Amino acid sequence: MTTTALELTSVTKTFGGLVSLDALSLSVNEREVLSVIGPNGAGKTTFFNIITGVYQPDSGDVLLYGTSITGMTPDRVARMGVARTFQNVRLFLNLTVRENITAAMYGRTKSNLLDTLFGTPRARRERRENEDRMLDALSFFGTRLQGYRLDQPAYSLSYANRRRLEIARAMATGARVLLLDEPAAGMNPAETHEITEIIGRLRSERDYTIVVIEHDMHVVEGVSDRVIALDHGVKIAEGSFDSLATDPSVIEAYLGRGSAAKK
Amino acid sequence: MSEQDQVGRGIGTDDWVAQHEDRVGAPQTGMARLAQQWTRLPALARWGIPLVIFLSVPFIGSSDYILRIGVNLGLFVLLALGLNLVVGYSGLLDLGFVAFYGFGAYAYAMLSSEQFGVHLNSLVALVIVISTTASFGFILGLPSRRLTGDYLAIATLFFGQMFAVFVVSSDEFQLPGMSDTVDLTGGANGITQVDQISVLGFTFETNLSYYLLVVALVVFFTVATKRIHFSRHGLAWRSLGEDAVAAQHMTIPTVRLKLLAFTIGAGVAGLAGAIFASVQQGVYPSEFMLPLLITIYAALILGGLGSIPGILLGAFIMVVLPEVLRFPDYSNGIFLAVLVISVVATVKSWKVLVWAFGGMVVIGFLVNGVLLAMQVPYLAAKEWITGPLAPVLGSWVFMPENRVLFGNIAFVALVGLAAWMSIMSRRSRIIVLPLALWLAIWTWEVRLLLEPSVTRQLLIGALLIVLMASRPQGLLGKPRVEVL
Amino acid sequence: MQYFLTQFANGVVFGGVYALIALGYTLIYGVLQFLNLAHGEVYMMGAFFGFFTMTTLGGPSMSILPVPLMILIMFLVAMGGSALLGIGIERFAYRPLRRSSRLAPLISALGVSLFLQSAALLLFSSRVRLYDSNLFLSVQSGITVFGVHIDTAEIMVVVGALLLMVILWFLVNRTNLGRAMRAVAVDQDAAVMNGIDVDRTVVWTFGIASALAGAAGVMSGLLMYPIDQYIGVFAGLKGFTAAVLGGIGSIPGAMLGGFLLGITEAMVTAYLNPTYSDFLAFFILVIVLLVRPRGLLGRPALVKV
Repeated sequence: MTTTALELTSVTKTFGGLVSLDALSLSVNEREVLSVIGPNGAGKTTFFNIITGVYQPDSGDVLLYGTSITGMTPDRVARMGVARTFQNVRLFLNLTVRENITAAMYGRTKSNLLDTLFGTPRARRERRENEDRMLDALSFFGTRLQGYRLDQPAYSLSYANRRRLEIARAMATGARVLLLDEPAAGMNPAETHEITEIIGRLRSERDYTIVVIEHDMHVVEGVSDRVIALDHGVKIAEGSFDSLATDPSVIEAYLGRGSAAKK
Repeated sequence: MSEQDQVGRGIGTDDWVAQHEDRVGAPQTGMARLAQQWTRLPALARWGIPLVIFLSVPFIGSSDYILRIGVNLGLFVLLALGLNLVVGYSGLLDLGFVAFYGFGAYAYAMLSSEQFGVHLNSLVALVIVISTTASFGFILGLPSRRLTGDYLAIATLFFGQMFAVFVVSSDEFQLPGMSDTVDLTGGANGITQVDQISVLGFTFETNLSYYLLVVALVVFFTVATKRIHFSRHGLAWRSLGEDAVAAQHMTIPTVRLKLLAFTIGAGVAGLAGAIFASVQQGVYPSEFMLPLLITIYAALILGGLGSIPGILLGAFIMVVLPEVLRFPDYSNGIFLAVLVISVVATVKSWKVLVWAFGGMVVIGFLVNGVLLAMQVPYLAAKEWITGPLAPVLGSWVFMPENRVLFGNIAFVALVGLAAWMSIMSRRSRIIVLPLALWLAIWTWEVRLLLEPSVTRQLLIGALLIVLMASRPQGLLGKPRVEVL
Repeated sequence: MQYFLTQFANGVVFGGVYALIALGYTLIYGVLQFLNLAHGEVYMMGAFFGFFTMTTLGGPSMSILPVPLMILIMFLVAMGGSALLGIGIERFAYRPLRRSSRLAPLISALGVSLFLQSAALLLFSSRVRLYDSNLFLSVQSGITVFGVHIDTAEIMVVVGALLLMVILWFLVNRTNLGRAMRAVAVDQDAAVMNGIDVDRTVVWTFGIASALAGAAGVMSGLLMYPIDQYIGVFAGLKGFTAAVLGGIGSIPGAMLGGFLLGITEAMVTAYLNPTYSDFLAFFILVIVLLVRPRGLLGRPALVKV
């Protein structure tokens, strides 16, 4: 019995005269890893932005576990259980690793200012819980983001570590659905391999539903249950990685008319 | 090492992290060693020592004037802490903040004086003042949802200016439909004979009592700020200040938090305003204008945005130093000390030091000679300087009779030279240094000393410019990184 | 009716002044995406420069030059002095910060603002100055249109403002410099890669913007407004409002905004309460920023997330 975690029904979004998403419908099942591929400008990030509430669709609906989240502000969407990473990493650079993660736990905690001021039991309890959850999220990435690094500002992290931290931060929100925007961008082969494993483990060990935008086909191949190809805001293909790799319309979209697929 | 080997070592193992302890050595410079010793002290000591110092101030010399400065300093710290929430944490450049201070003062004055014949119980008045000021903060914050940094800055600046205008012109306030004008705010003369605060039968009458009250409030708000800094809301504010969009995606309700920041900041300012009104027993519009706002910003930035000790240090410098400037003898000493210290601190080689100060002295005498030869009328030393430095300065500094004219020319020359030096190469800077030093001292003595209040503002303006260009994180702040 | 026309004429006149200040804001914002908070102070300095030029040339009553020539020289000196001042400010206070945080240039501008105000106070003392009223006794003729008397001074201001605007339009749209300015406005890095000297372009932009502000300052003086070190504050804020109203970054917008603001203000002053006419500008600003942030003629800004 598969539950539909995330669903878009005929979502259209235009900016001025440019149609970014054209009656796009898709659904993601719980614990599924769906990859979204397509040339630049295909509407992939817009697709994420519509889900998280940065833009309102002109028409169509976005449903999370059957509930409509269309028109909700990003913070509400996040509290409903959808978290994301960004194409160009958007960390809180001047905050420490610890603070980056803890900040994202706002929606899961309830302490108010009075609790903070007077150090109530609730405040202390939540602080302990946050600490545990943080270490738990970071443990996914080995020892890289632990030890003394916890109190280093995020701007001191290497690029790959920043991407990892961003994923950990998204996990910290308590979301059930993760939207990862080019998680392997700029990584070397070893790091790419690691990310692929991590995404797999996020699904198998933590039951996340994951949607990945990626250009690196190694990752797409290694991670996906299903792949969707977008071009000019339209879904041009959907299926397993292998079927898309040889799909002529996908090849055409990436490489132009008359090219053959090369991996 | 082949890809297979690297992966085989296990995902996520980081030797660098593991070896951290071995790598970190002892601090190198004297300053860093001091700083390390300080952080090793237990928290009680780190908080207790400054507190004891401040509590013992009333017993030093028992000067009422010093207590008054202490009260002003404390109120200033409250304002800085309030503004820190808005700017330091949330990154909302509110240039109208000082209007809330004024609003609090005026509101309290209107409720506790003969202006309307209303003399409310102090606690009641304070509650009303704080809540209405906070509401105004909320209202000012409403547009912040849609305004980005630049626009918010100017819109709030405008708001602050309008408050000043409103207050000054509302001694004849009239709405359509009213038959006559009403004296709301006393216009340019303000409201006088404001009641002092009295709580449960005890009336705050002396500067000492207000000082202690203010110290208590400062302690409370400093501790509160410290606790908020790492708390759920504090992190939310700070991340919203870093990247509001990302923060929003991480469950943080940015709109609500911005409004909350504005509201709380305004409330604190309102409280400070009310206390100010009752200490002074009067309110006057000139006290709540732009220069005060810029001074608060200067304090925050000098100390270091977001750093609590920085805020306290910045406030201290911005309040106490101008007071010292009022006494020409002291201000002379302080100015020269600051000049010497900054040169010594930035110049490494002592050969350059000799060149700088030696050359400066020589130039001074040269100029004396030239001006004497040109028969420029001058003043004898005892006519313009007293105090311990008089003998030295009196003979070395040529004091023309027409101080204003010469001083103005020197001032313009100094500003031009300083600006030019900022883009010179290191070598050229060193060559010109003696001239710059002499010109600085000469301008100071001849012209700037004559007008301490203007000089103070000049220095604050210059401080902000120089700080942003050379050390934007201030004295105690941490260097920040920003993505544009 | 005559009253209405007189007020309308007044509005057009100081609308011209607002428009010149607004143009300065819009130029700098358009090219650098930076709101120069200290722009009003440049206007203030321009007014002072004009004043001192006037007194140095003997003042209109004992002028060593014919009055029209003296006025021309006042404008040139004020515009030149303001341009140099603006260029200096950019060079020393803003350029070091070009790639640092969003907040830093604004704080620096605050510092510049305070510094200029205090410097004016120091150098010129707090005495309020008035451009000599004798200035126009000899040229006091003016004209009368539809029963409304318009001073020579007012004509001069409006004509001068329009003239400067035309020159500016020409400069931005028909010269290489203008093209460079437009390129830097769109994408600084791409402009560099196309061989445009960004620093030089920025210098020119600040110079022109400040010269316009200086001209506005002299015009204020000619219109018999009192001159002191604080006039830049509200002039700057209103000029900014006019720029936003017309659409910040848009040159025709700044002109339109300036005149609109001037006329509306004149109407409010005349028919409602004069004391609170300053408030009008504030409300216009807030309403525009909330309801239509791009202003009347601006283009909407798209931000990529």
